[in-house]
Amino acid sequence: MKVSKSWLKELVDKVSIKEVERLLPLRTIGTKEITEDFIELDMKGYNRADLLSMRGIAKEVAAITGSDLVGREPLTYEVYSNKIPTTPVKVEDEKLCPVYCIAKIEGLKSGPSKSEWIKKLNDSGMRTVNNIADITNLIMLEFGQPMHSFDAEKITDETLVVRLASQGETLQTLDGKNRKLDESDLLIADSEKPLGIAGVMGGKESETSDTTTIIFLEAAIFDPKSIRKSVQRHSLPSEASKRFQHGLTKTNLLKALSAAIKMYEELGGKLTAITLTGDLEDKIKKITLTQEKVNELIGIDISPKVIEDSLKSLGFILVSKGDSLGAWEVSVPYWRLDIDIEEDLIEEVARMFGYEKIPAKELKGEIPQKIDQSLFEFIYKLKSALAEAGLTEVQTYSFSSTKVLDALGFDESNKDAIVKIANPISSETEYLREFIWPNLVEVIEKNMKQDFTDIAIFEIGKVYLSQKKGSPKESYRLAMALMNGTDNPIEELIHIVKNTLSVIPNVSEESLDSNHEISRSTRNDKNDGLPIEKGELMKELETLFHPKRYANIKTGDKIIGGVAEVHPRFLNNFGIEKRVAILEISLDSLI
Amino acid sequence: MEEKIKNISEEYSNKIKQAKSLKELDESFLALFGKKGEITLLPKEFSKLSKVELQRVGPLFNQIKAELEKEIGDRRYEIHEESYKNLVNENIDLTSVKLKTREGHLHPLTIFEKKIADLFGKLGFQQYDGPEIETDLNNFELLNIPPDHPSRDMWDTLYIRNKEPASPAKRGEQGTRNKLLLRTHATASQPRILKECKPPIRMMVIGRCFRYENLDPRHEHTFDQFDLIYVDRGLNMANLQFLSEYFLKAMLGEDIKVRLSPGYYPFTEPSAHIFGTCVFCKGSGCKICGETGELELAGAGMIHPKVLKNCGIDPEVYSGIAWGVGPGRMAMLKYGINDLRLFNSGDLKFLQGLKNESK
Repeated sequence: MKVSKSWLKELVDKVSIKEVERLLPLRTIGTKEITEDFIELDMKGYNRADLLSMRGIAKEVAAITGSDLVGREPLTYEVYSNKIPTTPVKVEDEKLCPVYCIAKIEGLKSGPSKSEWIKKLNDSGMRTVNNIADITNLIMLEFGQPMHSFDAEKITDETLVVRLASQGETLQTLDGKNRKLDESDLLIADSEKPLGIAGVMGGKESETSDTTTIIFLEAAIFDPKSIRKSVQRHSLPSEASKRFQHGLTKTNLLKALSAAIKMYEELGGKLTAITLTGDLEDKIKKITLTQEKVNELIGIDISPKVIEDSLKSLGFILVSKGDSLGAWEVSVPYWRLDIDIEEDLIEEVARMFGYEKIPAKELKGEIPQKIDQSLFEFIYKLKSALAEAGLTEVQTYSFSSTKVLDALGFDESNKDAIVKIANPISSETEYLREFIWPNLVEVIEKNMKQDFTDIAIFEIGKVYLSQKKGSPKESYRLAMALMNGTDNPIEELIHIVKNTLSVIPNVSEESLDSNHEISRSTRNDKNDGLPIEKGELMKELETLFHPKRYANIKTGDKIIGGVAEVHPRFLNNFGIEKRVAILEISLDSLI
Repeated sequence: MEEKIKNISEEYSNKIKQAKSLKELDESFLALFGKKGEITLLPKEFSKLSKVELQRVGPLFNQIKAELEKEIGDRRYEIHEESYKNLVNENIDLTSVKLKTREGHLHPLTIFEKKIADLFGKLGFQQYDGPEIETDLNNFELLNIPPDHPSRDMWDTLYIRNKEPASPAKRGEQGTRNKLLLRTHATASQPRILKECKPPIRMMVIGRCFRYENLDPRHEHTFDQFDLIYVDRGLNMANLQFLSEYFLKAMLGEDIKVRLSPGYYPFTEPSAHIFGTCVFCKGSGCKICGETGELELAGAGMIHPKVLKNCGIDPEVYSGIAWGVGPGRMAMLKYGINDLRLFNSGDLKFLQGLKNESK
């Protein structure tokens, strides 16, 4: 949300912008960017719907700076409801559209907006279209209530219908794109055709133009979840849909509608019909708050007076409970949709008191019983031993790159057995790794290009193994790779392993080399080789490793991994002409 | 001209076929396709040809060029494959191995994570090994982030593909809950810890998290997070301030000033962002801190009573603190690293160039 500085000054009396800039991040919300014209609030993921409007921000600013608001809030709809006829509106699903209001305004003449409006729009990061369209945006910015204007002449039977789309319906949206609609898209339609995706984007056909004189002005509340789904499906995030998703209030909607009608009237328009559907009253939430709980959760003593003043300045109404000084029933102002429980109120008190003034208090209470930490101790010990032996620890992605998958012999026929990401960022993040060593070969390739001639690296991390049933299994692995410029790096690797793996309990030195001349036939045995749970995926094993330079690593009788020279054919995929030896063992059975 | 092309073809075809080594093959390749190679230079003479001639010569030239390229590729493959046949004659001889002396290096994240774990270990916090593949339930729902809640926008999520398409019965709420994903934050382990342990709880989670992010110097899809989960009677924001000071002073120096500021996380209430004096300008204001003299360093809050309740802990009796930091960010500040992607790059210049001062 970009907060226009000059607009803020219109709404808050004698406010010092410097003070606002200083206090907003301390009391309310971080700022993303500050310029001469605006302060941009960091709203990502924030739950303060009220801060998506200039009037909401004005209230907050008044509270944190101790200023007053300028003037009175606009009146609500009652002014109109008696004397003016209604216009046909049909809401088919009240759950998805609890409030739907349409005002018919005639006698408009499109033209450029006045410079004051354009400045407000520009400060807020929007552009001017024409006076008719600009009013809807200005009202949205001021009240947080999105508005939409339809060209009345384009609407068959002058009837507006809020309904779900039926399969196969299409709509050309304002951006000129043809959208395929889905049964879960909520639509605004007339008696014949869709006019817009509710809360997401209007249709091209019913858009107001320079010749428009009569509009249907829409102000509505839609179900945030339904809006969110449509936004995601059509990838159409907008200023309006953001506000629908954060939640709107009925009181505010009516104020916004009244203010909008007034603005159109100032342009020479005349309100000739209005229909308001749904329950138009906000429910006021009441929450019990005690001073005891405030002080317990913040950790300092805050007096009942300070608590009361803080909350009152933000628009909360406090009524003392019984005779006690430190207990209240607190009514939440209608615009604070984010406040539900006592802890929410305590956060308000803490904010107004100043988070930065909360002192540090040492932890009390007993220290819980020790649980087994051997996994972490073991991994760190192993890493240290390997670094001590001269290896550099690397960390590579949990994914297998397309290059690695190709080199491992995966293609469309067998890739399916790997744990797959449903919505990968790119093909490089589509499959989770089942082995670490191929990633280390990639690291060697990369560093050889940087003229490294001797590379000794390791990684300890997880692999992700698909299971016949249930969730994939995660397993801790150690992988090592050595390119030492010789034609037989496995010899040195085995020595390094023998010297360092002494930190691993139960791995015997003998097991490392007793078995290194494995015949071709046994190498194909499923139980031989790296701990491959799905042997069929690695049936090309002989293409991956040197036919002779290969050994198992065992703990007791159990094979937990292997050490091998990588087959030059495999390395050729990475443009590596030197010999490379690798090791990969499962750490699960060692911990 | 045609004659000339045919001669080149013949001459080099033979050479390629007879090449015994990659070196010989490379020589032929250069002689043909190098800067001054015959095939490279030949088209320059085409301007002398008449249109009719060119119509014959052009296609022939292209055909020969393609053939020669293929022959070289094929021969290269053959030479490789022939050399592979000799591999069976190679063995392992462990009797006379020379061990090189190298300087080893731990990954900067290992160093920092160890430091962090040791620091909080002194306060009785213990490590918990949580899975990286999590359910939507643990990563979101139990943490007070229901499906389709706008706050989900804070975590762009990578989901695991379901092997069987969900049956109609499995869709909807139950389906969403059991949906598997790559955890987007270490907080995903919090529900497990709250369910498995009885208060008082002092636990920490360190590990890989994932988000749907396009890579740039400030964004990574794979990164580490550190999270503290602390549950006891009467915990408060002043304790949270203590933990923040304790940690940041130890990591970034005793003179750092630490303060809390309002923030929002669905799983904490109140929530806080933790700021400290900018390590680069020491508070005077610089480009890196945006002239504020401070950097946002961690996120925390009092565990939301709904989360405690969701996980079987009575919020009337106990309160909790959740506190989290990115070890990568700490390492970046400490070492002055300006590209987040370096951690997963395997770039040895980077990994070996850092001083392991905190070992």
